[in-house]
Amino acid sequence: MLAKHETVLLAVILVEILLFQNLGRNFLAESNVSNIFRHSVEIGLLALVMTPVILTGGIDLSLGSMMGLCAVVFGLLVKQFDVSPWLAAVAAISLGAFGGMGNAFLITRMNLPPLIVTLGTFSLFRGLAEALTKGSEAYSGFPQGFLNLGNANVLGLPAQLWVFFFITLLVWVLVHRTVWGRSLQAIGFAPQGARYAGISVGRNTGMAYVLAGAIAGLAAVILVARLGEARANIGIGYELLAITAVVLGGTSIFGGSGSISGTLLGYVAIAILNNGLSRITAHQIFDQPVSSVARELSGMLTGLLLLLALAAGVLLKSLAIRRARRQSLITTTNPTPST
Amino acid sequence: MVGCKSQTSSGGGEKLTIGLLPKSKGNQYFVTCEKGARLAAADLGAELLFDGPTNTDPAKQNEIVENWISLGVDVIAAACENKDGISTALKKAQQAGIKVVTYDADAQPDARSFFVNQATEQGIGDQLMDTAAALTGGEGEFAIITATLTAANTNEWIKYIKERQAAKYPNMKLVEVKPCDDQKDKAQQETTNLLSAYPNLKAVIAVCSPGVPGAAEAVKQAGKAGQVKVLGLGLPSENKAYVKEGVTQAVVLWKVEDLGYLTVQVAAAVAQGKLQAGATEFDAGKLGKLEIQGDNVLLGKPFVFTKENIDQFDF
Repeated sequence: MLAKHETVLLAVILVEILLFQNLGRNFLAESNVSNIFRHSVEIGLLALVMTPVILTGGIDLSLGSMMGLCAVVFGLLVKQFDVSPWLAAVAAISLGAFGGMGNAFLITRMNLPPLIVTLGTFSLFRGLAEALTKGSEAYSGFPQGFLNLGNANVLGLPAQLWVFFFITLLVWVLVHRTVWGRSLQAIGFAPQGARYAGISVGRNTGMAYVLAGAIAGLAAVILVARLGEARANIGIGYELLAITAVVLGGTSIFGGSGSISGTLLGYVAIAILNNGLSRITAHQIFDQPVSSVARELSGMLTGLLLLLALAAGVLLKSLAIRRARRQSLITTTNPTPST
Repeated sequence: MVGCKSQTSSGGGEKLTIGLLPKSKGNQYFVTCEKGARLAAADLGAELLFDGPTNTDPAKQNEIVENWISLGVDVIAAACENKDGISTALKKAQQAGIKVVTYDADAQPDARSFFVNQATEQGIGDQLMDTAAALTGGEGEFAIITATLTAANTNEWIKYIKERQAAKYPNMKLVEVKPCDDQKDKAQQETTNLLSAYPNLKAVIAVCSPGVPGAAEAVKQAGKAGQVKVLGLGLPSENKAYVKEGVTQAVVLWKVEDLGYLTVQVAAAVAQGKLQAGATEFDAGKLGKLEIQGDNVLLGKPFVFTKENIDQFDF
């Protein structure tokens, strides 16, 4: 079932590539392929760690705001307190983890709904970031060595892509190859059942939020390195794009089932769509070149893609149920003993 | 640089491609800029790409510039929302052999060759403060509505407003500077708050275009038209109704369409090597010869639109 979903996504990605290669300008140029990932790797990171959160049946709306807060604290440490950027990066990631711990505490110990808790911290983190900068200050002038993390190539690929590969591997192992990862699916499927099965539901769920927070901190550092500037309003709306990628990737929004590979494909489909449309300069839509309404179109099409993916999922499920019912009818009318 | 277009000849057969980057795409101000830009591009036979952010994500301008680099444009003209952030991307463009100019709001000086300056910051600040003083008789409290507290150019204008006030109008007092996020509703709401917080307020100066009608609507609804003067930087067309009703007294601005036109003229000339560092004068097509101060191409003095002359302009 999941594998089927991933095949469909792979087909969508191939169609996108063929379409943009034919209609777009320099779409497959090396510099543009780098752009596709350079410009979206932060959303990819959020999507990766959003997956375990959603697997438990939860959600984390605070990740974009967390990026803003971590970016500001990072900038503050480097520019005001002369901390080395790499040390400050560790601090930003720790701050993210700490913020995630706050979410986890409220959700698992106080038993508050994740949607409401993270809606609260969504405002809280952004507000803190704005307060720290009085809404106006921005930090820039970071050393080139640090900016390379966002702008240079390493072994022919954007530097941040290597970080992304590493985190992908890490999250994949955590989710699919550890007891903790397996327990998340059980928790999302039936929290009570998981508890009776002896799973430490609170602790395991909480860890998903801590991981998400830490990686949001990392995403903030990478974005600052790319822009050369740390300010309070970075990462606005990124959590929603990440959730879109996860759900597009076939993870159930109610928890219980999903995969990292699905999330990766969902993310790539969105990233290519965003970039590809902006390269169609020779074709018109609404009396304008497609490239000049690319952002509006990609918003629309991403939404459409998501709704189609959801509808397809529901359809497949109901077909499967119908088939199962027919199967059981056959077995009840022909009561032949079977093994 | 796979697939990058060759940029050898200046006046050769290949069509010049210009990327024009606004601060935000939906803003009427930049839509008007684009109109002038299209005119100049048609005159020059150049291809014009116009694209900008649709929300306040500070990463978007950088991403557009980086996409243009790999698209293989010849020259980029940018209105910069975040001076330092965008400069990272503009410098990358320069390294890729693409010429860069800025307009409306400048980048770091080493990230571009020329800045098309619609009016000097001091010229605007002085003009706004002088107009406010003339309207209020040179005394009383006034407030400022700005776009965001981060936009570099609005902050400079506000600085000169403050300096002018301190130097020439000691009986006037700036009570507060409020951001409206470049949104009319927010400007209206902030002005309403200001009116109740400062009952003696004499004038509201809006330094971003959606701020002027926003402030006017608030003053009108509070029944204080004429009593609290409204003025600011804005498009005459967006303010015409309020100016005629007597709610807004003055709109200060350069001719925006001309800014777009001049920007494309400068961008093309820089790309073709016709305009180089050290020039003191620029022949801007239908705008005639314009002055260059250092690396700033000047559009001219700001203009005050009032009840008497506003009908002559349709942008």
